[in-house]
Amino acid sequence: MSTTGYNESLLDHEAREADKPAARRRARRRPEPFTVASHIVVTLFGLFCLIPLWMIIAGSFTDETVLARQGYSLFPNPFSLAAYELLFSGQSLLNGYVASLFITLVGTILSVSSTASLAWVIARRLPWISRPLTVFAYVPMLFHGGLVPLYLLVTQVLSLSNSWFAVILPILLAPFLVFITVSFFRQLPEEILDAARIDGAGELRIFFQIVLPLSKPILAVLGLFYAVTYWNEWFMALLFVSDPDKYPLQLILQNLIANVTNATSLPGATAAQAAAPVYQLRFAMTVLTVGPILLAYPFAQRFFVKGITLGATKG
Amino acid sequence: MQGKAVVPATRRRRPSSPDGLVLLLLAVPGIAWFSVFAYGPMAGLVVAFKDFNVRDGIFGSPWNGFANFRYFLTSGDAVTIIVNTLFLNALFLSASLLAGLILALMLNEIRGSLYRRFMQSTIFFPYFVSPIVISIMLQVILSGVGGSGGALNNLLSVIDLPQLSWYTEPGAWPWILTIVKVWQLGGYTSVIFLAAITAISEEVYEAAAIDGASRARMALSITTPLLLPTLGVLLVLGVGRIFFGDFATIYAIVQDNGILFPTTDVIDTYVFRSLRTIGDFGTTAAIGLFQSVVGFFFVTAAVLVQRRFHKESSIL
Repeated sequence: MSTTGYNESLLDHEAREADKPAARRRARRRPEPFTVASHIVVTLFGLFCLIPLWMIIAGSFTDETVLARQGYSLFPNPFSLAAYELLFSGQSLLNGYVASLFITLVGTILSVSSTASLAWVIARRLPWISRPLTVFAYVPMLFHGGLVPLYLLVTQVLSLSNSWFAVILPILLAPFLVFITVSFFRQLPEEILDAARIDGAGELRIFFQIVLPLSKPILAVLGLFYAVTYWNEWFMALLFVSDPDKYPLQLILQNLIANVTNATSLPGATAAQAAAPVYQLRFAMTVLTVGPILLAYPFAQRFFVKGITLGATKG
Repeated sequence: MQGKAVVPATRRRRPSSPDGLVLLLLAVPGIAWFSVFAYGPMAGLVVAFKDFNVRDGIFGSPWNGFANFRYFLTSGDAVTIIVNTLFLNALFLSASLLAGLILALMLNEIRGSLYRRFMQSTIFFPYFVSPIVISIMLQVILSGVGGSGGALNNLLSVIDLPQLSWYTEPGAWPWILTIVKVWQLGGYTSVIFLAAITAISEEVYEAAAIDGASRARMALSITTPLLLPTLGVLLVLGVGRIFFGDFATIYAIVQDNGILFPTTDVIDTYVFRSLRTIGDFGTTAAIGLFQSVVGFFFVTAAVLVQRRFHKESSIL
């Protein structure tokens, strides 16, 4: 059974997008003022998006004393690796990565599997099941209990304080993503599923061996959205994780902002190094926190665009 | 399961009940999560009507009627944070929608497909930057090392304008936060609009070109009107969420800097702070319930409006 035909239809709008400029190019001879202005404005906005990030990266390689004396510059001079050396020699960066990776990996696996399976049950339009489930998953988008009951639930009822699951569980399912997945599942070609049923495949077999392999594009979208959410999550950690050894990266960063002068939470910043490069360290830590997203972004970017497009047109 | 008889195609949407039960198994994790983490806290809202103490627990604490609500609504903070929430959200929503619309129209003018894709990825990137990192970037720009200078002040001094100590100027912050939101969401919103632009028929533009319309004219008189439904949906969704502050970004940036509270404190940050510093669960839960109830009316109204005008894009 080939799946290519189906995947092609998903890429349809990208293909159309590629065709369109060609058609318009024929209609025009020389650049018009609006087109020129567009290039300039878009390029400027692009710079506006990148410059803050670049300043952080440059700052992380600039010696603290130079930072204090000359302010920020776009190119580190002299080039200094002091902050990175300090970070890599200590334990807390490693702890932070372990925590963030655990939360992101375990969280994404749990989120994607529970989102996809719930969405499939809703998408099947089963009598007495799918419709109530839709309402069940929709109501929380309209009304929620708020922070205090959640706090009491996690700390008092479930006793999850200081556990990474306290970060994962409260944000495990995004109703919005459940419904995007439902609308994707409903577009799966019915004939393939029918053929499987005629061959005697049970419901579970159909889901795991036919639906999921056909749904790789949406699973990628789900996985990436959840992964970014977990990697960037700091609020749940701020609420529920108080043991510094269990801090994820974002919370370590948050602590660096909250205590500008408190360098003790930094690795290697012992009493002997009273003049630890607080700012340079903070920037280096930021770079190491954004790093994985920055590295994955060029490859993952088109899935995000697809996910938003799905959400905008079908969600 | 495996050796089951052939199911006629007409029954494909209505499997026999054992199959339905098996399918229900798939939904168990989702149902369990919604029960505990979505509906559980709703039950926990009884705390709003109680004089909560940890010893007696959620259901054991004594009732105190509407005392928690009265306490919140009569405190001077209520008006400030409600006004801030509405004002800031209105600013954020209109600015990011406008920026997204303009960016989409202009990105659409860029033909070089590689450059266009590169710019689209670039302006979309801030959406994936965490609030904490945004906060650090903002400090680089506004306050610099040791709380003095900063990139913006350096720039101001070059063109001979007075420098400001930004983190002690509450008046500037609604606008600073709006710029942050445009930075964060402008690209994201433009992707949504671009998706809608792709759906516009090419023939319309060809006809306009034959009539001698300029590109600017086409963007203004063809693309923009055809994007109005999308704009409407985004606007309605945004208005539906208008009672919920963007907690993460605002708190990450403002932290506990009390000087900025008069213009930046929203319901969510207020609730969080009261919970952490005062630990008054009853009043905090009451504010949360108040927010949820008012928010519910906004969201429901928004959903109804959206269904009325844009049926195909609604969920239910």
